[in-house]
Amino acid sequence: MAIITISRGSYSMGVIVAEKVAQRLGYAVISRDLLLDASDRFHIPEFKLIRAIHDAPGILERFSHNKQAYLAYIRAALTERASSDNVVYHGLAGHILLKNIEGVLKVRITADMSYRVAREMKREGISEKEARSILEKDDQQRRKWTKNLHGADPWDSNLYDLVIRIDRFKADDAVDFICQAAESQAFRTTEESLEKIRDMALACRVKAELVDEFHNIGVTCHFGNVVVYTKDKSRGAKLHKQIEAVRTTVGGIYNLEIHSAAGFPPDAV
Amino acid sequence: MPIIIISSETVQSAQQIAQAAAGELGYQCLGPEVLADIAAKYGIQADKLSEALGNDQSKFRRMRAKRRSQLLAYIEAEVLDRLMSDNIICWGVVSHLYVQGVSHAMKVRLLANSGQEAEKFAQQSGISVQRAAKSIQNAIRKQEQWALSAYGLNESESSMYDLVINLGQIEPDEAVRTIAGAVAYRKFKPMTYSIKSLAENALAAKVKTKLLDTLSDIRVQARDGKVVVTSKALKRERQKKAAVIKELAGQVEGVEFVEVHLINYVIREAAESFR
Repeated sequence: MAIITISRGSYSMGVIVAEKVAQRLGYAVISRDLLLDASDRFHIPEFKLIRAIHDAPGILERFSHNKQAYLAYIRAALTERASSDNVVYHGLAGHILLKNIEGVLKVRITADMSYRVAREMKREGISEKEARSILEKDDQQRRKWTKNLHGADPWDSNLYDLVIRIDRFKADDAVDFICQAAESQAFRTTEESLEKIRDMALACRVKAELVDEFHNIGVTCHFGNVVVYTKDKSRGAKLHKQIEAVRTTVGGIYNLEIHSAAGFPPDAV
Repeated sequence: MPIIIISSETVQSAQQIAQAAAGELGYQCLGPEVLADIAAKYGIQADKLSEALGNDQSKFRRMRAKRRSQLLAYIEAEVLDRLMSDNIICWGVVSHLYVQGVSHAMKVRLLANSGQEAEKFAQQSGISVQRAAKSIQNAIRKQEQWALSAYGLNESESSMYDLVINLGQIEPDEAVRTIAGAVAYRKFKPMTYSIKSLAENALAAKVKTKLLDTLSDIRVQARDGKVVVTSKALKRERQKKAAVIKELAGQVEGVEFVEVHLINYVIREAAESFR
């Protein structure tokens, strides 16, 4: 039993591979519907969430907190779905949204640019020049987004457990590798790892409830004990009031505290 | 049968996986021991070849670019020649950087299990695990800088490889199984054109070793017995240099025709015109 995240450049057959893996293993697939889920739950229009997860932040946006908030909502929705185990996620930035969770198999599907251009041309019925331009722009956006928000280059192979060049293998070959890895000991979910995922889902949910008003917070959760870390002491009273509301709206919290801190623990969301 | 090229952040993991995969598949294993043969062939010290590969960063930094190019050319020529054999796994001689456009060469990048490597290194060196980990990361970074400097390539970019396997999460046995399974795929079967491509790489490398004895800053490509050499020259030297290149390159077995392209050495021309 495993949680698998598949990252991909556009038109590199990542979706097909993800769906085949899910079918072979009998897992649920999470992708775009996750955004609908987050949109419904947090009352944010879907297009704003799509932009948050797709477009690199512009200069002004880097000083606003909306994108961070939207990512918190998406992360909350994703970790909650992932905590049910046996899932394949192939949306954007799964390897980052699900980082710090043990036992998640992080896969990247890549392809040579000329291969992707050929597929894009066939799919959209456009010229090579147009196809290349679209793909280069898309790649640039994704790299910029990941670098700006997470300080990581999505093309850095160190972020993944397995990187597969799909133009050198068939989709079914990639599916074989992924399923083989997913069934190995390292990626089998244990009670302990499932508990950690549920704790993370809870931490993400609490953050999502608070981040709109309190931008600079970190949240941890261990066995249902949630701690909210804040650097801003001046708004303590307001945060306390909001916390009380969260206690009633979010289920599964055993204990909830606020800590003023200069920094957040490494496992804080 | 295919060639498997194993590149890794650490020598230990490359060796472990290469040897295990060779055992599993019944393949030959070509590793850094080839440096001794190359040293004997060209009458140089084996440790100089090791330095050219960036294995001793302090000495590598002091090595002149021309000398480094020459030593790397010796390594490339010998390794490419040996890769013409079937059923071979190559590791530890940076072949992932100079085996280009050969479709039956499967390139695999291994990411180290940094925790385990740090513990081993700490035990061997009698230092703390933290310090060992820092030392390993430092060495990895320097090796990447070396690859950029020597070949203009970013080793950490996943697009360079057919498969990247993170040994921090995937067990060595699992990695070997994946590699052994992958190599059976159709795209890695040697075809006439891919074998030819490898032979042309090898020919170009041999010509380069011949030319770098006396010349520097050259680029060599080979196709269908025709060798194209690109270099720089002052206007007044062009004819003489072209003749020297043609004569030297023509001495290499397998070369049928030599074409020379000489680009103006603009900076030197400008400097000389002020004298």
